[in-house]
Amino acid sequence: MRSKEAGALTGEGRVREHSSAAVAGKYWAVFRTQLLNSLAYPIDLLGRSLLIVLFMWIFMNLWRVTYGAVGASSIAGLTLADTMWYLMMAEAVMLSKHDLSETFSEQVKDGSVAYLLNKPFNFILYHFASGLGDSLLAFGGNLLIGSAVVWLMVGPPPGIAGWIFAGAAVVLSWLLDFCFSALIGLSAFVVEETNAFRWIYQKFLLLLGGVLIPLDFFPAWLQTISLNLPFAWIIYGPARLFVEPSLARLGHVFLQQCIWLAVVGGIVWVIYRRVVARLVINGG
Amino acid sequence: MPAISVRDLRKTFQMKRKSAGLRGSLRALWRPTYQSIEAVRGLSFEMEDGELLGFIGPNGAGKSTTIKILTGILHPSSGEAAVLGHVPWQDRQALAFQIGSVFGQRPQLWYHLPAVDTFYLFGKIYEIDDSSLKRRISFLAEAFEIEELLETPVRKLSLGQRMRCEVAASLLHRPRVLLLDEPSIGLDVVAKQRLRMTIQRMNDMEGVGVLLTSHDAGDIETLCRRVIIVNHGEIVYRDKVSALKRRYLTVKTVDVRYNEQLAPDFSLPGVEMVKVGRYGAKMRFDTRVTPVEPVISGLAAAGSLADVTVSEPSLEEVISAIYARTEV
Repeated sequence: MRSKEAGALTGEGRVREHSSAAVAGKYWAVFRTQLLNSLAYPIDLLGRSLLIVLFMWIFMNLWRVTYGAVGASSIAGLTLADTMWYLMMAEAVMLSKHDLSETFSEQVKDGSVAYLLNKPFNFILYHFASGLGDSLLAFGGNLLIGSAVVWLMVGPPPGIAGWIFAGAAVVLSWLLDFCFSALIGLSAFVVEETNAFRWIYQKFLLLLGGVLIPLDFFPAWLQTISLNLPFAWIIYGPARLFVEPSLARLGHVFLQQCIWLAVVGGIVWVIYRRVVARLVINGG
Repeated sequence: MPAISVRDLRKTFQMKRKSAGLRGSLRALWRPTYQSIEAVRGLSFEMEDGELLGFIGPNGAGKSTTIKILTGILHPSSGEAAVLGHVPWQDRQALAFQIGSVFGQRPQLWYHLPAVDTFYLFGKIYEIDDSSLKRRISFLAEAFEIEELLETPVRKLSLGQRMRCEVAASLLHRPRVLLLDEPSIGLDVVAKQRLRMTIQRMNDMEGVGVLLTSHDAGDIETLCRRVIIVNHGEIVYRDKVSALKRRYLTVKTVDVRYNEQLAPDFSLPGVEMVKVGRYGAKMRFDTRVTPVEPVISGLAAAGSLADVTVSEPSLEEVISAIYARTEV
């Protein structure tokens, strides 16, 4: 199969055929280089992961009191242990997301975007590969430390299926989050400063995505709204799958994630084409 | 076919304008006004295959904008351009395999990693097979004298060392044209010379064409045979560097020292005395007005000469003179 880049001329003037393997190799190399880059500062990496300890301690105190006040062993089908493991997974995803919009914004402001646009790769895929390299390490660290803490607090984690299903869904979560980040980041080409959009997106994730509270605890009407928005499928989907893994739930989470990926990814693609055409680089 | 061909290239940016103060801010929100900035105004030039072409001008002259248009990352407002047969903004990806670029103020090497990691990454990005890449890296490491630096994290390199690594990285895929935008910015004299030497060497060895923008006239003087000078987005001069010097280097400055005291009213016809001391003098004359021969014989007749130095204005001064003329 020939990629879109096919048709480039070699130095000798022959048409260069780009194999799909060579094209995939580029993004693999970007992913690998970002991994190496993140490993350059192991203490910093560990420090970032320690944040989850604080969050879990706060959540534990908060929810222990809540469950005690309600006087029931489970709320909306979730025990205290389920809730804590849910929140651990939700926080692990949230804290390992690579904030691409900020990277975009910085690159537009300082002009370094020029280097990425004149290389033979797709700008969006480059960032995804690089973001994935960053997220994977952070996610691993968060999961390791977060699990140890929550295990000590409420006992062992859910079964192995939960880890596998949630792990698979988290990759699509990053992809979906990446599309939102890219959308916000692409607006930097037009408005340059994207802090406001980023802030709004973060708050949507916190409240309607299920980072602070499992969506199951919401009143029915708010639950319906949340589950029909994409934010739930970035955080709530994988975290809920983690504590209650089933093939039916996995299928539902995947379906929702794919639908939203098609919608948001499509918008990103269209906007990217338009933005590049009217690109203005600082320092021109 | 020329490597680069540009015809009547124009680029206009729309800049938002805002008056001072809160009132101005509110008005800008309600009814924004824009000002058109013409960064490039009808540039036309050609660069031959394998040529080292200097492209100089002050800040805001449109040099970087032109380079960005030529790499395909900026779309021009109008005009035509072809780089190695490609229209850059239409064939950006295909062209990327054949050109290299270095933007002096924007590092492309990964800051926290050794340069060799970026080299391997670029190798994959440019689809170079592993064994060719290894050979290419060792060749460039030798040519740029960076063997010892490749495994040091980039953040620990000096600016000069980093810049040599940057230029080497941009040559990994054997580009036919290299676009260097201010590569020597911030470098000390020694680092500049080393960088110039390596650029010259790669031009000699591989015939890579170089379009070089620089604030430093020394870069152009050492490296380029031909120069294009731009100001306010327009070409104000284009010719061989030697012709530029011949045409503008007519003012000579002479420093003379004598073994004996000079007469207090020492002067020569047609020569402007800058400074007259007891044993020496500094003077200036224009060869188009005063021929060299009578000046030299006048100096010899004034006493027993100890030393004479004749200097020409630097290319920098020449360029300033050209800008001053075009400012009118």
